[in-house]
Amino acid sequence: MPIIQRFLTRFFIRFGLITFMLLALGPVIWAVVTSLLPLSSLTSHPIDLNPANVTVENYILVFASSRGLVSGLINSLIIATFTSAVGLVIGSMAAYALARLNMPNSSRILMMILATQMFPGIVIVIPLFLVMSRTGLVDTHFGLIIVYLSFILPIVIWILKGFFESVPMELERAAAVDGASPFQTFRYIVLPISLPPLFATGVFAFIEAWNEFFFAIILTRIHVKTASIAIAEFSGQYQTLYGQMLASAVLASIPVVALAIIFRRFILEGFVEGAIKA
Amino acid sequence: MATLELININKKFGDFTAVNDINLRVEEGEFVTLLGPSGCGKSTLLNMTAGLEDVTSGEIHINGEKVNHLGPFERDVAMVFQNYALYPHMTVEENIGFSLRLRKRPKNEIQDKVRKVAEMLELDKFMHRLPRELSGGQQQRVAIGRAVIREPSIFLFDEPFSNLDAALRLKTRGEIKELHQRLGVTSIFVTHDQEEALSLSDRIAVLRLGQLEQFGTPEDVYSRPASKYVARFIGTPQMDIFAGSFVNADGLHFQIGEAGIPLPVSFKIPDTAVDVGIRAEFVTLGSKGFDSAIRLVQPVGPFTYVTVDWQGGCVTARVNGVSHMKPKETIKVEIDPEGLLFFDRITEKRMDLQ
Repeated sequence: MPIIQRFLTRFFIRFGLITFMLLALGPVIWAVVTSLLPLSSLTSHPIDLNPANVTVENYILVFASSRGLVSGLINSLIIATFTSAVGLVIGSMAAYALARLNMPNSSRILMMILATQMFPGIVIVIPLFLVMSRTGLVDTHFGLIIVYLSFILPIVIWILKGFFESVPMELERAAAVDGASPFQTFRYIVLPISLPPLFATGVFAFIEAWNEFFFAIILTRIHVKTASIAIAEFSGQYQTLYGQMLASAVLASIPVVALAIIFRRFILEGFVEGAIKA
Repeated sequence: MATLELININKKFGDFTAVNDINLRVEEGEFVTLLGPSGCGKSTLLNMTAGLEDVTSGEIHINGEKVNHLGPFERDVAMVFQNYALYPHMTVEENIGFSLRLRKRPKNEIQDKVRKVAEMLELDKFMHRLPRELSGGQQQRVAIGRAVIREPSIFLFDEPFSNLDAALRLKTRGEIKELHQRLGVTSIFVTHDQEEALSLSDRIAVLRLGQLEQFGTPEDVYSRPASKYVARFIGTPQMDIFAGSFVNADGLHFQIGEAGIPLPVSFKIPDTAVDVGIRAEFVTLGSKGFDSAIRLVQPVGPFTYVTVDWQGGCVTARVNGVSHMKPKETIKVEIDPEGLLFFDRITEKRMDLQ
C-alpha cells in the first residue's frame, strides 16, 4: 500500500509540475520559434516548421526598422529602474513604520493602501489622463513613473511589512543594548538581514513596470513609448509582422530573465523568509 | 559592579497598570531574581531597568545616579534575551565582538577579548559559524558571551533558559551561577520558575500583578513567605492550605475538620480567622494520626510525593525514596505542628504566631 501511495503521490506531483511547465513555457517556446522563422513559413498552411528555414532575419529587421524597439527598451529601462528604486526606498520606509512604530490607525492606513488596488485600471485611466495632460505629464518618464508607483507601492508595502514584522524585536533591542544608534541598528542589523526580501520585492516591482502596457499606451505618445508598446506596434492596420514582433518580445524579455537569474537566490530566500519565523 | 535602586516605579500601558509602585534595592555584586507568573510585570521591570522602555513614573538609580534619561548603553548594562536575539547574519565571533566594533576598538584588542570570552564559554571551536548552525545551548552561550565581553556593571537576564530542554537548562543554570561567582557582577534575572530562582539567587523579588509581594533570601521566601500567594508559588509540591480554627480543650489545638493538631503553650492566638499552610516535608504517613485514603503516588527519584484525601481536601506528603504505596489504600496522616504556616484569611498575609 505505501509503495502504491508513494508512486501515486510522485506521479501527481510530477504530472502537475509538467502541466504547469507546459502552460508557462509553451508561449515562450512558441515565441522563440516564431521569431526564428521567416514570415512565409508562418503564413503557410500548415505552418512550415522545417528547421532549414531558421533565420535571424527578424532580429536584423527589428534593429534596422524605424519602429523604435531600441528607444522603447531604453525608456522601459529608465522607467522600470526608477519605479523599483523609488518604490523600494519609499515602500521600505513606510513598511518599517507600519510594522514597528506604534502609530494610531496603522491598520486602517494599511486597509486604505490595499483599497487603492481594488479599482480596475479602466475606471481610473480617463480621469488620470485628464489630470496628467493638464499638468503636462503625459508622454514623460516622470509621469509614467508616478503612475506605476501608485500601484506598485501598495504591493511593496504589504510584502515588506510582513517581512519586517517577522524580524524579532529583540534583535533591535539587543543592538541598542550593545550601544548601536538607531541608524547603526538599521545599517548593521536591519538592512543586512532585509536584503533578500528587498531584492525580491525590487525585482518584482521592476518586472511589473517593465511589462505594463495599458497605462503606457494611453499615457504616452511619441517620446516615452515603452518596449511593450513598441512590440505592439508591429501589429499594423494591414498586416502583422509576427516574426519581428516576437523577435522584439524575445529581446525585451532578456533583461527581465537575466535579472531573475542573477537574483534567483535572493528571490527564493526572500519569499521563504516571511514564512518561517526565527 | 554597581548598585541598582528602583524607587516608586510605575508603568502603565493605557489603562493597564503593568508595574505598580515598586521599590527595590540591589546591592553590589548581588544576584537578584524577579519571580512571578507571566503577566506579573517582571519583564517590563527588567526592560525599564535596561532602558528599553520608559517608566511612567519613578526613578531608577545605578550607583546612586539617576539614569531614567539614559539609553541602555549609557547605563552600562548588558542583557541576555529570552530568544537570545543573536544577529543571524553574523558569525559567533562577530556577534560577540559587535559592541566593541561599534566602539571602534582596535582590531587586535577585539580579537583578543573575543577569544578570551569564547574560551571561557567553550565557544572557541565555533567562531566562524552562524547562529543557525549552533545548538540551542551554544546559541545561549553566544548570547552570554555578547553580554560578558562588554564588562558591564549590571547583567540583565530575561528568562534565558526558557528555550532550552530540561537537562540543558540545569547545566546552563550551573554555568550562570559559576559565571556570577567568578565575575561577581550585579545581576538581575527574570524567571517564572521558582526552582531556578531558589537555586540561583542571593535574593528573590516575588511579583504579583505588578506589585512586589516579597523581597528576601531564598530561605525567607520558602520558609517565611510573606503571603499565601508566595507560599503557594514557591516550593514543589505546592503548599496545601486548609481552613481551620483554634480549640482549647485538652491543650491548645488547631482544628482542621476532625483532625486537631496540638500547638505549643507559647502560641499566640490571633483575633482573626486563619488558614493554615502545610508543606509536604512536615506531613508523615504511617501508624499515627488520622485514617486517610491515598489518592496519588508520584515518585520523583529521591522522594515520592503521596497525595491523600484528608479533612475534605488533599494533603501531599514527601516520603523518602521510592514508596510502594498504592492509590485507594488507607494510611494514617500525622502533621508536624512545627511546619505549620498561618495566614490571615482576609488579607492572606502570613502571621507570626509560634
